[in-house]
Amino acid sequence: MRANDATTPAPVRVAWIVASAALVALSLRVAYGATPKIVTDLSNSVALALAFGGLVLLTHYLGLLSLGQGALVGVGAYAALHAVNDFGVPVVWMPIAGLLAGTLVGAIVAIPSLRLPKAYLALLTLSLAVAYPIVLKQVDGNLPVLLHGSFVAPSWTGIAEEDEHIWEFFLVASYTAVTLFLVQGLLRGPIGRAFIASRDEPEAARAFGVSVYRLRLYGVALSGGMAGLAGGLLMIPTNFNDFTHYPEELSIKMFALAMALGGSRLISAIPGAMILIFLPVWLIDRNWVVEYGWVGLFKSEGFIYAALLLATAYLTRGKGFMHLLDSRKHRKLRRAPLLNSRASMVADRLVAIEDRVTQIEELVDEPPDIGSRQNATD
Amino acid sequence: MSLFLQRTFDSLANGSAYAALAVAISMVFRSTGVLNLAQGQLAMFSTYIALVFATGPSPYLKFSSNTDVVGAAWPIWAAILGAIVISMVIGAFTERVIIRPISADPVAAVGATLGLYLLLGAFVRKQWGGRTMFLGSPFPQTVDDRWDIGGARLWHDSVGITLTMIGVLGLLAILQRRTKAGLAFRAVTSNQTGSVMVGIRVSRVLMLGWALAAGIGALAGGLIAGEINVRPDMMGRLLVFGLAAATLGGLRSPALAFIGGYLFAFLETMLGGYVSFIDSQVTLVWALLVLIIVLFVRPSGLLPRTETWRQR
Repeated sequence: MRANDATTPAPVRVAWIVASAALVALSLRVAYGATPKIVTDLSNSVALALAFGGLVLLTHYLGLLSLGQGALVGVGAYAALHAVNDFGVPVVWMPIAGLLAGTLVGAIVAIPSLRLPKAYLALLTLSLAVAYPIVLKQVDGNLPVLLHGSFVAPSWTGIAEEDEHIWEFFLVASYTAVTLFLVQGLLRGPIGRAFIASRDEPEAARAFGVSVYRLRLYGVALSGGMAGLAGGLLMIPTNFNDFTHYPEELSIKMFALAMALGGSRLISAIPGAMILIFLPVWLIDRNWVVEYGWVGLFKSEGFIYAALLLATAYLTRGKGFMHLLDSRKHRKLRRAPLLNSRASMVADRLVAIEDRVTQIEELVDEPPDIGSRQNATD
Repeated sequence: MSLFLQRTFDSLANGSAYAALAVAISMVFRSTGVLNLAQGQLAMFSTYIALVFATGPSPYLKFSSNTDVVGAAWPIWAAILGAIVISMVIGAFTERVIIRPISADPVAAVGATLGLYLLLGAFVRKQWGGRTMFLGSPFPQTVDDRWDIGGARLWHDSVGITLTMIGVLGLLAILQRRTKAGLAFRAVTSNQTGSVMVGIRVSRVLMLGWALAAGIGALAGGLIAGEINVRPDMMGRLLVFGLAAATLGGLRSPALAFIGGYLFAFLETMLGGYVSFIDSQVTLVWALLVLIIVLFVRPSGLLPRTETWRQR
């Protein structure tokens, strides 16, 4: 899942097919074999992978900073839940309401802030992240709002009524897989290349007729839509919405993980989402959350995320650890001998020409022997 | 009329806190180009330090089981001053150790300030817990400590907080205009390369800028703690208003950011007071909407539009 490869070599393609098949097999194994709690957590993380994908798109493809992705997930969840409860939308289609709401809010935030330096988008999205739980509490009240609908699997699936968590997992996974596939296709094409051009060389992109502002606006709206869809999907396994689900720390943690694990790969969204969901579970299982003082600090989620952010900032200059892998791979490619003999011959000729040019340049740059000329004149 | 006057008076204390945070954010952004998103958390952390100083040895405020460092309880003013000094050291340390090595990359720098944001939040929660604590105001705060003007009550502590903040920020403005250090700071914010060429030690000036910003934040936290109490999330709301106010100054004008702080507090109080469907919590959303509208209509804030604000 590379962004800027026009063609993927056949062995890599086969490896991807094998890995995807293994992932599907593993998902089936977990869905049918694990406890309902684990399957529900897995559904949540698969849904959040979409929001992470949106964040990777913004951070690594467009070079923008969004600190309100958690709030956009919340917007999507709110829209999806109320689409079912208030407008009678079938539960299977409710994530689409989340998608629309997320896209709309993303665009509203982006329209004014993208005309300004990049810091403004960070500023507005952080404000959104802080404000959203307060608004949700005001609008929906202190108590959780239940979803008026249930997810009963069709008879052809063979999934029993009491195993609705399995059906919910498949629904979430299907939505996520299709969306990630479509977005990945988009990023591999001209739009993805234009995104990267607008990130690295905005002036050059403008010179080639690309509207950088419009492109970034589409990117933020797409990212918001992915977050909103993730919020709608979260309603499938969770079945209720509550203002405590979307504190501003959620957005910052998502940003930390997207920044650390991202790179030019949308697939890095999956480990990010897994860590976000399963790290607190792991900390609770070990009773680390109840420890206080210095030891408690080092074992806390906040410290882990802070360390991750600082390490990413220092070690990768904010480009993410996947970027280190990419640059190592590129170095390796540069060192590798050319397999094609014709290309190799052309390269050898070019190197020879370059050597000759260097020699000529050295001769031209050599200072004239003024002393001997002066002697000759005398 | 008296109700309007009362609401105007009520907005003073909050306005001072928003203005102080906005000035701190603008100062840092103007000099280094880094949006310090941890400004609110730094202020919150220093308020806890003031609380430790003001409370003295207390089982509820133990700092790694060692409360002897603090000794007897300090008066609130001294506690706030102590917190300001510690905050300034933390601010300078942050610039030198965390920001300077990565300041060339804005994404990394913002990531680092967010790391600091999470770190300070986690530290406070794990050292002092998440419960609400009371610091008190350095100004008289009883029911009789007020002036009745036009049927409205003007509380002494609101006036004290406002005058203190105006005084400190005025002093800062004078320092910037009348001293060599201020001249150096203005030169660095205007042109870093040029400043280096004329012999100004830019790194020291930037460190001073971060230290001053942290000190202003600490003062804001210490003063407003008497109104909103001390808890780990006390600065979230203030940060949003501070950022909004800083935006009015185009993130580069501390003077306009200062005015923006009072303007947003005034707006907050009036909207919460006169519009029936907006309560005090939801005013935050209206501030956000105002911010979006301001950015939409006048992207440079109240600053004149210049080359700097064209799309990058």
